[in-house]
Amino acid sequence: MKRILTRSSLVLIVSLAFFAGLLLLMFRVVTQNGSWVQQAYNGHMASSNGLAQAGSITDRDGTVLAYTDENGERVYHADTDTRTALLHVVGDNSLNISTAIQSNYRTELTGYSFLLGLGLPNSLRTNNNVTLTVSAAASRAAYVALGSHDGACVIYNYKTGEILCSTSTPGYDPQYPPEITEENEQEYDGVYLDNVMSASFTPGSTFKIITAASAIENIPDIYTRTYTCTGEIEIGGSKITCEENHGTLSFEEAFTHSCNTAFAQIAVELGANKLTATAEELGFNKRFDVGGIQMIESSFELKGADENQLAWSGIGQYNDLANPLHMAMLCGSVVNDGVATDPVIVSDTGNILRRFGISLDGIGTKMLSAETSVKVGDLMRSAANYYYNARGVNLAGLDFCAKTGTAEVGEDKEPTAWFVGYTEDSDHPYAFAAVVVEGGYGIDTSASVVEAAMAALVYG
Amino acid sequence: MSFQVFLDIAVVVLRFLLPVYAIVIIYQCFASMRRHRRPEKPLVTLEIKSTGQKLPVLFWENSIGRSRGSDISVADMTVSRDHCVLLRRTEGWFVSDIGSKGGTYVNGQRCDGRTRVLIDDEITVGSTTFVLKRGEEFNERIRPSWFFTKASNKGSLQPYKLMILITFFHLFMAVEACFTNEVQDFVPLQVFVIMEVAVWVFFLLSSHVFNRVNFELEALAVFLSGLGVMLLVRQELRSAYVQLIAMALGMALFSFLVKFIENPDRVNSWRMAIMIGAVGLLAINIVFGRVQYGAANWISIGGITIQPSEFVKVAFIFVGAAALDKLQTKRNFFEFIVFSAICVGALALMGDFGTALIFFATFLLIAFMRSGDFKTVILAVVAAVFAGTIVLKFKPYVADRFSAWGHVWEHAQDTAYQQARVLTYTASGGLPGVGVGNGYLKYIAASESDLVFGLVAEEMGVIVAFALAFAVVALAFYSRAVTTRSRSSFYSISACCAAGLMVIQSALNIFGATDILPLTGVTLPFVSAGGSSMIACWGLIAFIKAADERTYAAKRHRRLRDEEVSR
Repeated sequence: MKRILTRSSLVLIVSLAFFAGLLLLMFRVVTQNGSWVQQAYNGHMASSNGLAQAGSITDRDGTVLAYTDENGERVYHADTDTRTALLHVVGDNSLNISTAIQSNYRTELTGYSFLLGLGLPNSLRTNNNVTLTVSAAASRAAYVALGSHDGACVIYNYKTGEILCSTSTPGYDPQYPPEITEENEQEYDGVYLDNVMSASFTPGSTFKIITAASAIENIPDIYTRTYTCTGEIEIGGSKITCEENHGTLSFEEAFTHSCNTAFAQIAVELGANKLTATAEELGFNKRFDVGGIQMIESSFELKGADENQLAWSGIGQYNDLANPLHMAMLCGSVVNDGVATDPVIVSDTGNILRRFGISLDGIGTKMLSAETSVKVGDLMRSAANYYYNARGVNLAGLDFCAKTGTAEVGEDKEPTAWFVGYTEDSDHPYAFAAVVVEGGYGIDTSASVVEAAMAALVYG
Repeated sequence: MSFQVFLDIAVVVLRFLLPVYAIVIIYQCFASMRRHRRPEKPLVTLEIKSTGQKLPVLFWENSIGRSRGSDISVADMTVSRDHCVLLRRTEGWFVSDIGSKGGTYVNGQRCDGRTRVLIDDEITVGSTTFVLKRGEEFNERIRPSWFFTKASNKGSLQPYKLMILITFFHLFMAVEACFTNEVQDFVPLQVFVIMEVAVWVFFLLSSHVFNRVNFELEALAVFLSGLGVMLLVRQELRSAYVQLIAMALGMALFSFLVKFIENPDRVNSWRMAIMIGAVGLLAINIVFGRVQYGAANWISIGGITIQPSEFVKVAFIFVGAAALDKLQTKRNFFEFIVFSAICVGALALMGDFGTALIFFATFLLIAFMRSGDFKTVILAVVAAVFAGTIVLKFKPYVADRFSAWGHVWEHAQDTAYQQARVLTYTASGGLPGVGVGNGYLKYIAASESDLVFGLVAEEMGVIVAFALAFAVVALAFYSRAVTTRSRSSFYSISACCAAGLMVIQSALNIFGATDILPLTGVTLPFVSAGGSSMIACWGLIAFIKAADERTYAAKRHRRLRDEEVSR
């Protein structure tokens, strides 16, 4: 019998394994219940797809963007352009837009807590309102300026991290969401995707900010170098073309004129390892989040690339992909001593730490050394002065530093236009990024989007 | 504050109290299992004649041999490793040789089969001779098991009080079910009354007709079964009645089995008949089986559908266990292996891989408890993994379940439809649950059986759901603790393996539904809807009941008293 007792330990081991499994399950229940409960099919949240008891969503100025009326119906902002502009921020009744507030904060809006569950009688339910950091007016202005183009515009306060303007096209009216069927799905391709947070685009010349930063850090005599541009250069057996025949240029001039020839050579001199290292320090291949809502990563990948591809990657082509919000963060870091402040979209003025006077602003990711950030800032300032001011770009009369990009995306497509940068104003410390798909050459489309949003933001 | 709000607050408070109540009941059941033990004293003493050294005989069945794992280990090279067994039956003490080289002698006469030994008789193995003495002759202290509380500790809750506690728990569930969001009527109370009549009749029979002093194991099963029945009332009333009938039949089977296996020697004579019966049942299933939920494990007789594989579980445990002196025989073990292979094979043929897996795991438990051979166990596992790969190759729907495993949210509308809903509604229930009958999981297919963990969590709260799972774990601990206190290794092995089977089945059920393991579609013991499963579970705990020596104690005491009087 003693032997049987010893062997019966196997039953104990099995039971302990079961016990351990139960603990794992418990852990998952406790940590993940919020996301489990937020499913469109959840019968306890049935009417208006679970928003029947939800609180309201307001923008930074107190404009109500969405609320639930006495019939349990979800009502969005009265103006069609405003609600469409903020579709990807606020979301609609469905959970199709995964990064939207109504998808991610549904449990907060409906007052769900695991402690009480969803079975509370109606008389005892409480809901919560959510205040966003965005300005509805600025987002609407950017949306209108984007017109029929697909694209995105984001402006964020590089000191506090507040996202002030965010819009993404194409979208649809959340009050009357379209029935997307097999026939019309072409037309609505990508509508559920927030181009600000969940999409990435070929960065084109805006990537020269990264290449320049890498050169400043890795090539000691970069400021004494000169580059000769004849409109094209052969690297690794293939040609790299430039917009113009720039002649002889210094490093700074190469940046302000956005000379492909010079930057292709710089990229090759830096080599894949150093360029990748800088790009990754600047947040490429890294996932950021906005208050827990995951952003897509910007990617910079040179594995297996030849010399010609390395050169292209240095001017934002090849496999490079950049996310608009990440680009705004990166620009913010240039003016913020190299620190990219963590972006936020839900106003947390009621946060318990703030109530105790502890500031939560300015927590972020170190991207550049302070010295490099100043030098990169100088480059972007001279680009703005030389080039964009001359063209009459006016960001609500604020001083700004910027870089454009014109990214080639294919033979039969117009290039993607970018405009990224930041304002130098202590009352309006804003970093921005606008991307316009098939926006064409020049800065007209992309800059006008930022101009419109910035005017709405500053002049109100 | 309006009356409605007051009422709502009262309902919520009640919902928070119910989980606490459930924990109290489960705790009381186990507290009771740990008490009322005889003190840790030897039953008899063996005195080595040459040295006068006294060895305590602690168990009802004791192996004697040279092996250090023997209950009575003899350092004598002329003794075989496993020499003989000294066992106690109601008639008295016996010695049985288990194929030793030198043979076993009682008072100088060589044993052939079981030989009765009396106090002061001499038992000779090899060159060692023992004298059988009374238990009191050994007066050293023996370390008690951690599981059992000291006999002197205060008594546990009396069985009838425990039953009143459980009845009230079911009453609360019934009242809650009367006033759901959708339906308000008194049908749940009707079901409750019928159920409690059955339960109390069972209790009174146990305490007054069978004279059983303890009832905690039955109480636990009644608690779990009743909980399942009350959950079903608002889902499908007919199923609730079916479940109720099954529960009554289960209690009947339990009572019968406890009586039937009272004598461990009679058990052995029925072994072959039960084996043949079980194989026959499986054969009928294969020939006349109906396909339901992807497995042909149902047969229909006159409008009643049953799942034969559930009953075979009971037979499986029965065949697997044996008394200590039969355990060692090769034939006994070989028969069991063949029987296991037939069972697992038949289930695989029916496409019921979940149950096949349970049988296989239980086979491993039994095989290990009998042989103690890790190599065999590992070999069997390897063979099973091999067989599993083949199954996945030829049964694509099984592989589908694996593909959904760990990717519930990507497949929430197709292959992981059920698991996604279990998780969502588990979270929706929160700590107190949404109330009996107010859940939404009940509209999902198989929610009352395969997904019942989610149903309990949603309607009664996650605390109750976990408490049920922990009750099963505790049952295994209890079964293991009574191993050396049972009257025969037949009970020790069957109890441990019955509990092990329920643990494995619970694990597959709970973890399958919640995406910790792939969904296999097996029932949660007692709680899941399913008549066959319910009856079989009652059958399984009969083994645990029989392993507890207190079960037959009342009778034993009386007999001992009679013997003393006659002397």
